[in-house]
Amino acid sequence: MSALVVDALDVPFGDAAGLTDVSFRVRSGERLVVVGASGAGKTSLLGALAGFVSPSGGRIEMDGHDVASRPPERRPCVLLTQTPLLFPHLTVFENVAFPLRVRRVVGRDVRARVDAALAAVRLESFGDRRPATLSGGQARRVALARAMVSRPKILLLDEPLAALDPSLRESMRRMILQMHADYRPALVMVTHDLAEAGRVADRIGVLVGGGLEQIGTPEEVFRRPATLQVARFIGLRNELVGEVRSGTQLVVGEVRLSLPGCRSPRPETGMGEGPRDRLPVSLVFGVQGARLVPDGCPASYPVDRIPARVESVLHAPEGTTARLTTDHGPVEVRVDTAEVPAAGTAVQLQIRLDEAHVFERSSGSRFGARPGLDGGGLHRA
Amino acid sequence: MTRPSEKSFGIAAALVLAAPVVVGTGYATAAALGLAGAGATGQASLDRAVAVLTDPVVWGGTLWILWVAAASTVLSAAIAIAIAVTFRGAGRLDALGRTLAVLPLPVPHLVAAVGGLLVLGQSGLIARVAFHLGFIDGPAAMPALVYDPAGIGLVLALTWKEVPFLTLVAVSVLATRGDALERTARGLGAGRRDVFWRVTWPVLWRGLMPAAVAVFTFVAGSYEAAVILAPSDPLALPVLTWERFVDAGLGQRADAYVLALLGFGIALAAVAVHEWVRARIGLLDGGSA
Amino acid sequence: MSARVRSAPGVRPGAGSTFRWSVLVVLGVWALAPLVLLVVVSASGGWRFPSLLGADPGLGAWRAVGAASGSLWAALGTSTLVGVGTGVAAAALGLPLGRALSNLRGAWRIVGAGCAFMPVAAPPLALGVGLQYSFLRMDLGGGVAGVILAHLIPALGYTSLFFLGVFAVFDREIESEARRLGADAWQVLTRVTLPLLRRPLAEAFVLGFLVSWAQVPLTLLVGQGQVRTLTVQVLSWVQAGQDPLAAAGAVLLVVPPLLLMGGASLAFQRAQVVAP
Repeated sequence: MSALVVDALDVPFGDAAGLTDVSFRVRSGERLVVVGASGAGKTSLLGALAGFVSPSGGRIEMDGHDVASRPPERRPCVLLTQTPLLFPHLTVFENVAFPLRVRRVVGRDVRARVDAALAAVRLESFGDRRPATLSGGQARRVALARAMVSRPKILLLDEPLAALDPSLRESMRRMILQMHADYRPALVMVTHDLAEAGRVADRIGVLVGGGLEQIGTPEEVFRRPATLQVARFIGLRNELVGEVRSGTQLVVGEVRLSLPGCRSPRPETGMGEGPRDRLPVSLVFGVQGARLVPDGCPASYPVDRIPARVESVLHAPEGTTARLTTDHGPVEVRVDTAEVPAAGTAVQLQIRLDEAHVFERSSGSRFGARPGLDGGGLHRA
Repeated sequence: MTRPSEKSFGIAAALVLAAPVVVGTGYATAAALGLAGAGATGQASLDRAVAVLTDPVVWGGTLWILWVAAASTVLSAAIAIAIAVTFRGAGRLDALGRTLAVLPLPVPHLVAAVGGLLVLGQSGLIARVAFHLGFIDGPAAMPALVYDPAGIGLVLALTWKEVPFLTLVAVSVLATRGDALERTARGLGAGRRDVFWRVTWPVLWRGLMPAAVAVFTFVAGSYEAAVILAPSDPLALPVLTWERFVDAGLGQRADAYVLALLGFGIALAAVAVHEWVRARIGLLDGGSA
Repeated sequence: MSARVRSAPGVRPGAGSTFRWSVLVVLGVWALAPLVLLVVVSASGGWRFPSLLGADPGLGAWRAVGAASGSLWAALGTSTLVGVGTGVAAAALGLPLGRALSNLRGAWRIVGAGCAFMPVAAPPLALGVGLQYSFLRMDLGGGVAGVILAHLIPALGYTSLFFLGVFAVFDREIESEARRLGADAWQVLTRVTLPLLRRPLAEAFVLGFLVSWAQVPLTLLVGQGQVRTLTVQVLSWVQAGQDPLAAAGAVLLVVPPLLLMGGASLAFQRAQVVAP
């Protein structure tokens, strides 16, 4: 059974971003990370789940019960906010004990569970301290211990790793994963950071403009983005406009490419092609999705290369890229550090279709994918 | 980095501000010891101080003003908290409630006392309304609320005067700390009662504590309200201080210096208690992660 | 979380609104009745028991009050002079003092703030008793200048602490930036610092004015009964049982502070709308 079912959730757009028709399920022990740019509705989603934001439609089911009309405290979830506040009038111990006290846990159990939670965040000896005496990182760890101490069935984390320096972020992530592994709640975390999502998630949901564009394993989302929006969000920065003819052949300017999994293309005759056979599409690929071929190399048939000119070369820790201008727009591709072209050089760009994605321009959805099934099923199980 | 000259400017500023109090207490001490003032003998002696401080009139007046200060501080803090909690929202009713509560803020204490006299006095507004309603048949039948030994009239007038200030502080504590902490508590599973008793209330009283101590200190040393509304027996310490100071007799006048020092002492003790509470239980410094 | 809030915790929308209206009415009576009564008594033409409105209520009574007592208007003038003088000096001196205090760090900061707190916490009566001799020795007794100076003692405490708070959050980088752009010290002060601190300066003036406006014992002790501010005058009328005069004086004591507070908050609300 799913610990959390969200069905057709709508949150009105107002001061904060809203949500439109968001549906997903999370099982106990599963980690769903929802990614999105700022303003995509991530915080509204967690607010609606926790009970601080009223939805205008849809259903939220937690642990088998419809909780839409329940106040925050009567939902089987705990929300760790983006900048967690510790209660300044309570010691660290009492801060962590708070969720137990309000759940009427009494006696030795409280001490044992609080001590265990503090040990899990490596703050065993901090119980008597006042929040004011903690460093920022320590306070975040206390807040994490406090969020998990009551072992909520559903744990909601709002950017728990944001604004931490890299080493702190690493240890905090490990603590979250360890504490999650200890009792395996359904975990919903939101972040704008894709790398973070990939490290934490069993599944990733991509929120764009208040709608859930795709939900799937990190591999599915990163390797097969379901929509143009997702492709853009995961950082595939090259986008060329073209069309698919007869459902098999991708045409970008002079270039003809046969789409994988389709019949091999026949020579272009220009006959028998009605407007219905021409589907406007976007060809999207990352810096790895194309390679440079020196100008003048003979092209095979059909023409699979785009003429381009090197505008500049960028060096970065993860590799060297070249910025190119083409007739169809700017393109940035990875280049071999041994063969860095000089700026101004004329080159040819060869698209690697296995690394590229084709989206219908009218709908933004992946070309050839059957709607609703491509990596976007509500639930894997 | 603090440059040496910046530090010395800071110390100089502190000295400028403290100087009048140091000079005032210094002179009062000298006069109380018989080293300065009209009756100075040139010989330091604690005799006068001991005589004044063991006088039942003096400690009666001291206890009385402490009672008045404590009662009006507690009462005005309770009312301020009730108002802040009732009218804390963003609606127009809330804004109206807060505005009404804070309105008397700049009214001088003297005016609060005059208002108290006119409302609560034996021929005041309440007595007149009671007369017209047939509850009493004349001013004499009206229970004494001013010049009364219990100090009810003075406590009420001072409460009326101090509620706006404490409301302002309580509202700002709720707005700056309370709202976010309450959301955190609810997100952790606390119900309304738990939110109030485990978060709102402890945060409010801790946040209100410095302002309440300031009110207590001010009220305990305040002359103008006591002189209008306080009884002549027991004679409130500030009024007693004044009467001894303006007395024609030189000995009486010297007593006033001891009483002034007693007034300073009460203020100092209130601040010290506040600091002790802060060190002991911790008030609201820091806490955001 | 910045998303729409269901409701403020503890307050259900709609529910308890009758209760809140009742509280509001009680609050209104509590806050306003004494002030309204002061106006009624001042215009009563003699407020004798058991009449609620007085012997001869109306504007005529006010005229009579004004005519009978030129001292009322004289006292209003004296209070205004002393209050404005104290307010201006407290704002002008509180700024550099508060700034100097904010330079202190660690234990010195606590000592500095404690020093500024002393004249605030000291009872004015005790202060006046201790300082009267010094004021008389400096020939400052019985005059407006001496009274302003005496009022300045607590007022400066308040405004210095106020500016200490202001400078605790004031970003001095903006002054360095102006220096790097070629402004000299005077230009930095007049073109950057003071314009930025316009609002705190105005608030400090109001603070100083109110401390002085309400002051009684320091005025009596240093003014030697010769500087008759409105509070001193009202006190002597109350003690003489002249209720309408005392009430009229009390009304005059309330109006300027209320206008000042209301005006200041309005002006700054407008300024904030205009400001980016």
